[in-house]
Amino acid sequence: MTTIPSRLAKLATSSTSIEQARRRSIDAYRAWYRSAPEIVALYALNISPSMIRIKIRQEFEKNRAVTDLSIIDMLLHKNQQEYQETMNCWKQEPHILHWFKQYDDPPPPQTFLDKFYAGRDDPKQIAAF
Amino acid sequence: MFRAALPALRSALPSARPSAFAAAARFQQPIAVRTYAAAAGLSRSDIESRVMEVMKTFEKVDGGKLSASATFTSDLGLDSLDAVEVVMAIEEEFGIEIPDAEADEITTVKQAIDYVEKTPEGGLSPSS
Repeated sequence: MTTIPSRLAKLATSSTSIEQARRRSIDAYRAWYRSAPEIVALYALNISPSMIRIKIRQEFEKNRAVTDLSIIDMLLHKNQQEYQETMNCWKQEPHILHWFKQYDDPPPPQTFLDKFYAGRDDPKQIAAF
Repeated sequence: MFRAALPALRSALPSARPSAFAAAARFQQPIAVRTYAAAAGLSRSDIESRVMEVMKTFEKVDGGKLSASATFTSDLGLDSLDAVEVVMAIEEEFGIEIPDAEADEITTVKQAIDYVEKTPEGGLSPSS
């Protein structure tokens, strides 16, 4: 056994107020920010820690507009799960690179012909049997 | 654990040893005394200049309003995540680690300078 299952685990708690939820998210951001060099070293990535930090910032920005307290609690809990799995080295390199997948994949086909070449059938053309 | 390998801050300080030797040679027979203790801590102006340097290189900072009494959020136009990043940059500059509760308190440049001033010199955190 290299890591115990409860390392970096946190009990799922509901925040008492929006201010406390805000504190928790800022503390979560700080923990991720601090861990960027360690993630790069742990998984032997080709990406620099600053790229990881930019990605962390992007992910936090995605949820900036959320105001419902229960949703924030759920997001914080999922964040802690993600943090635990990353820092305990329970993931592997592809799981970390999945965060960057959107930028590595080729763009999805837009026109009909591009979709055809990509092997995707136009639903309008499929005859209803 | 890597923080312990950073060159100690004391190497950047003017050494007090030459003058002590000179004084000893002038007044008494020269006694070969080695002192490995360095002069105490960084001076406040050193800390202030380094913190200002960190703030200037941070591209989100509104450079015109940068001063010792500037608050991160209202004066420099940073949001809370940017404030976290700035405090982290200061931590990395001085090789210290600021615990969460105290990092939350730091909201102005002056508070950051005060905090660095009162951390023990060399900044070896208990975890490293």
